[in-house]
Amino acid sequence: MGGDNAPDAIVAGARRAVEERGIPVVLVGREAELGDTGGIPVIEASQVIAMDDDPGSSVRTMKDSSLVRAAEAVRDDVASAMVSAGNTGATMASALLRTGRIKGVSRPAIATPIPGPSGNPTVLLDAGANAECKAEWLVQFALMGSVFSQTRFNIDKPRIGLLSIGEEAGKGSPLVKETWGLLDTVDWDAHGAEFVGNVEGRDLMGDEADVVVTDGFTGNVALKSVEGTAKNIIAALLEAFGSTPEAQAASEQLLPALLPLYQRFNADSYGGAMLLGTKGVCIISHGSSGDEAMLNAISVAAEMVESDLVGKIQTAVNA
Amino acid sequence: MPAETHVEQNPLGRDDVVAIVRDRLAEILEIEPSDINEGDAFQEDLDADSLALIELVEAIEEELSERAVGFRIEDDDLEDLKTVRDAVDYVMARVG
Repeated sequence: MGGDNAPDAIVAGARRAVEERGIPVVLVGREAELGDTGGIPVIEASQVIAMDDDPGSSVRTMKDSSLVRAAEAVRDDVASAMVSAGNTGATMASALLRTGRIKGVSRPAIATPIPGPSGNPTVLLDAGANAECKAEWLVQFALMGSVFSQTRFNIDKPRIGLLSIGEEAGKGSPLVKETWGLLDTVDWDAHGAEFVGNVEGRDLMGDEADVVVTDGFTGNVALKSVEGTAKNIIAALLEAFGSTPEAQAASEQLLPALLPLYQRFNADSYGGAMLLGTKGVCIISHGSSGDEAMLNAISVAAEMVESDLVGKIQTAVNA
Repeated sequence: MPAETHVEQNPLGRDDVVAIVRDRLAEILEIEPSDINEGDAFQEDLDADSLALIELVEAIEEELSERAVGFRIEDDDLEDLKTVRDAVDYVMARVG
């Protein structure tokens, strides 16, 4: 029930997932408000956590909300994954408090794929779940991120980078320096990954690392900076294309080359951000998700369930 | 026949509540229950932050839901629960 375009876009995306890709879906929400669900089963939930509701207290007080019921469905094996375009904090809180943390994971983290020109996206985590972190948590984020990179994007030996303000080992905040020391002691070969040291903000869309680890505050600032920059560049390009008849004509010639590029940089293509560290696949889609974004999110969720992402993370953090 | 609203069980003793709080907290913090003492402060002694406390509260409510219908730890009271003993006393005051 959450999201700017809910419930219509959510239901439409779910129906497409069932009809186009054969993925079994269960909807959670106020059935009377969902419209024609095409026969998709519905778990009734009378309450809706709004986008501006406090995540922690709303999950505790609104026990019949669609988010809480969705997380309970995963906990009770009624569903294998949950996908939400609603309140991000409440989605995390629901997953954490109902499905629970994987043993060995101190804090779940939000992993967001950031597209880049090389083709394979860079996984950034934590992108906002934990504003303040301990160094040990960042090591767990690195382990979870490497598993996600291998499982989701088939990266053979993910390169783990630690986000800092300089490439040199001694650069960064006390947290970054302490984390560097811990990451350097991990047997990355045993995890099928590699620690490449510090990376900088400009490397997020480059090819220096496949997984970039940072605390949630920094990660969220970095993510929103990238999103804002991309959005403004695209808007400026479109304005330029429409500025004169000649530019318009030229842009139509360029369209076949530009469309694949647009798809690569379109966040909707990646199925949203993944919450790593809970005992169940949980995808947090953008609040503005339309049916295409929801279709992709559901598809990614199904793929991660089939690939046993949660089991692989459990093995990695407890190795 | 009147509907059963909750399972009839022996009343909870203080030792039972201590065990519930200690065991649930040990699971959350991934430490041994024997490492948790009643006098321990959540933050200073056990390094349990606000998220861990919310997890603890949820776990206690779930554990006690059968014994005390509608048992709930109010969010406004959470900031007063500084030690394991505070949590035990809080629960005892409402179910003991």
